Amino acid sequence: MALYAELARMLADRQKQILAVWIARTLQSYNSSDFFINSQDRFANPVGMLVRDGLTRVFELLRTEAEAEAFVQPLDQVIRIRAVQEFAASQAVVPFLELKWVVREVLNEDPPANPPTGELHHFDCAVDRVALTAFDLYCQCREQLYRTRIREVKSGRARFTDSGCPSRLADAGTGGGASEKS
Amino acid sequence: MAAVVKVDKLAQSVVKGPSLMTGGYPTKPWMEVPAVFKPGNYAYPTKPEKLEYLNRQQGVSFPNAREWNPEDDDWKLPENWKEIILQGLKDRLDRFRSLKIFMDCCVRCGACADKCHFFLGTGDPKNMPVLRAELLRSVYRNDFTLAGKILGKLAGGREMTVGVLKEWFMYAYQCTECRRCSVFCPYGIDTAEITMMLRELLHMVGIGINWAMEPVSNSNRTGNHMGLTPQAFKGNVEFLCDDIENLTGIRVNPTFNRKGAEILFITPSADVFAEPGIFTCMGYLLLFEAIGLDYTWSTYASEGGNFGLFTSNEMMKKLNGKMYAEAKRLGVKWILGGECGHMWRVVHQYMDTMNGPADFLEVPKSPLTGTVFENAKSTKMVHISEFTADLIKNGKIKLDKTRNSHVIPTFHDSCNPARAMGLLDEPRYILDNVVEKWYEMPENTIREKTFCCGSGTALNTDEIMELRMRSGLPRANAVKYVHEKHGVNTLGCVCAIDRATLTTLMDYWVPGVQVAGLSELVGNALVIDGEQRQDLTEGLRTLV
Repeated sequence: MALYAELARMLADRQKQILAVWIARTLQSYNSSDFFINSQDRFANPVGMLVRDGLTRVFELLRTEAEAEAFVQPLDQVIRIRAVQEFAASQAVVPFLELKWVVREVLNEDPPANPPTGELHHFDCAVDRVALTAFDLYCQCREQLYRTRIREVKSGRARFTDSGCPSRLADAGTGGGASEKS
Repeated sequence: MAAVVKVDKLAQSVVKGPSLMTGGYPTKPWMEVPAVFKPGNYAYPTKPEKLEYLNRQQGVSFPNAREWNPEDDDWKLPENWKEIILQGLKDRLDRFRSLKIFMDCCVRCGACADKCHFFLGTGDPKNMPVLRAELLRSVYRNDFTLAGKILGKLAGGREMTVGVLKEWFMYAYQCTECRRCSVFCPYGIDTAEITMMLRELLHMVGIGINWAMEPVSNSNRTGNHMGLTPQAFKGNVEFLCDDIENLTGIRVNPTFNRKGAEILFITPSADVFAEPGIFTCMGYLLLFEAIGLDYTWSTYASEGGNFGLFTSNEMMKKLNGKMYAEAKRLGVKWILGGECGHMWRVVHQYMDTMNGPADFLEVPKSPLTGTVFENAKSTKMVHISEFTADLIKNGKIKLDKTRNSHVIPTFHDSCNPARAMGLLDEPRYILDNVVEKWYEMPENTIREKTFCCGSGTALNTDEIMELRMRSGLPRANAVKYVHEKHGVNTLGCVCAIDRATLTTLMDYWVPGVQVAGLSELVGNALVIDGEQRQDLTEGLRTLV
């Protein structure tokens, strides 16, 4: 059963405005935001376009009260990027929480739309769930990075450094790689 | 009627209105934003013993070895560091006309600004090539131009300070010298050469990264990045020969350091040592066996890679020189080079004026087809893809595409072969002939406009994994597109750094896509007389 049917209609009416503000705010968390916001080429501007597409899909899923699993892919698309940029965990997931503020701002614009009592609370709760899912995904991305680092270290590729010379290591008593210290 | 929301007004309220977001907004001019080093955003400094070793070698200079930490305020710079840097810059402006021109001719049109994968992945304005170059150019203006000397900051000049030096270290190592920006520069400014100068100047005061310098010192000592001795190098190749025999029934018996061979074969040492490069190497070995090539490996010139390019002019020259010295010692006619990236940049752009021309060698001529490689007339070095494409074109090898039916590739133009030597069509021709179907990535991400793997120039180290993942996003994003649209499961390439780092990049961004050298795909498809090939469902990677 829909928990915020009336609100959903209002969100549909003002979807364009909400998304414009939400996407702009999110992309403004980057130092050079103009390019990320303005360039519309998905290959020339991957961060801007992946975030734009991800947030758009998340909003549509929220509006239609979709099942939790449906959110994972679009959330991952946004969070996977923010997980490798220099954001704190809180900064990485904050755009999703900010949607609550954006929705209120746009609904309050003239003429104000007044959703039925209680519906906004349900919507806020759905947004919070989205943010928590995003946080889980953020953690998964970080764990994946650490596992990747370990895999590289263990693989032959990483033996450029730190292990000394493999051939010398096999030769007991030379102290592995120490030959350069003479 | 739907409300008309003033987007501009609301977007402004990001700063004015209540916001949970913190940081990110450019509030100061770029010159006033200091570089801040924290774990994950810098590669580890060179170990002092590596620098001390290199500084003892002839023809190169790596002074001021010491323990230092980028996160510390005090980098333990030599007392006269500023004098060293400015004198170093002066020397280079006098020696390299290109540097002087690049310093003077930029009109800041911004064509390069949004072309750098580091900028696209970070949004950091100092990763715009124009601004990265400005880090050096501002010091040049201040100390080497009349306007700068008189007007200082008004003329875009700034004094060389420790803060500026730290900024140089930060951003000279957030550039993979891939030269994509140069493709778009109307003046042809080679930003990679500006990064090279920054790195050279930093080395004068003992600032560099271990992931560059340890392979350099290993290469100088044993001939390859890994520090493999001749015996170990030979042993590794022979292990691969055993694998080939198990898989195909063909016994390959390559020779090492054989005087009088017609051709010397040189490839990145990662190809004989680490996955997935070893499969590429097995492809080379099978191909040469199939055509009965008179060639030899060298256990001394056992590395195609030349991290000297990422270090200093002199170091690049020294490491490049060893390949030619070895060709001379062995008395070969010419050199065949494997799937390496920057080796080809060194050979095509710098070899002639550094160590060349290699007059003691002959203009390369394929012993199978008689094709003379006029393009290699001066360097005497032919790329394996050129060589293979010529074999295919002349019908000298038999290929069975169905043996690659497990593979649906796309092709990543490795930066240096594509942009520094124009190797664009040969790899594609090979793919046309070894697989049933392959797909191009979007036009603005391939050929001359190819996106870097994000980990070149010795940035393929694990401590900067996040940096590598974000700078590799533009490449991965294009792969993801063909993966989803066409079911692409293999990223073909012709570079050893690519083979290593794209594998990691794909794991993070596009799981389900493996990375393969083109010679591996050739080896998979190759039909050889007398073979007893097992059912290799994954080609040379099949475990039997």
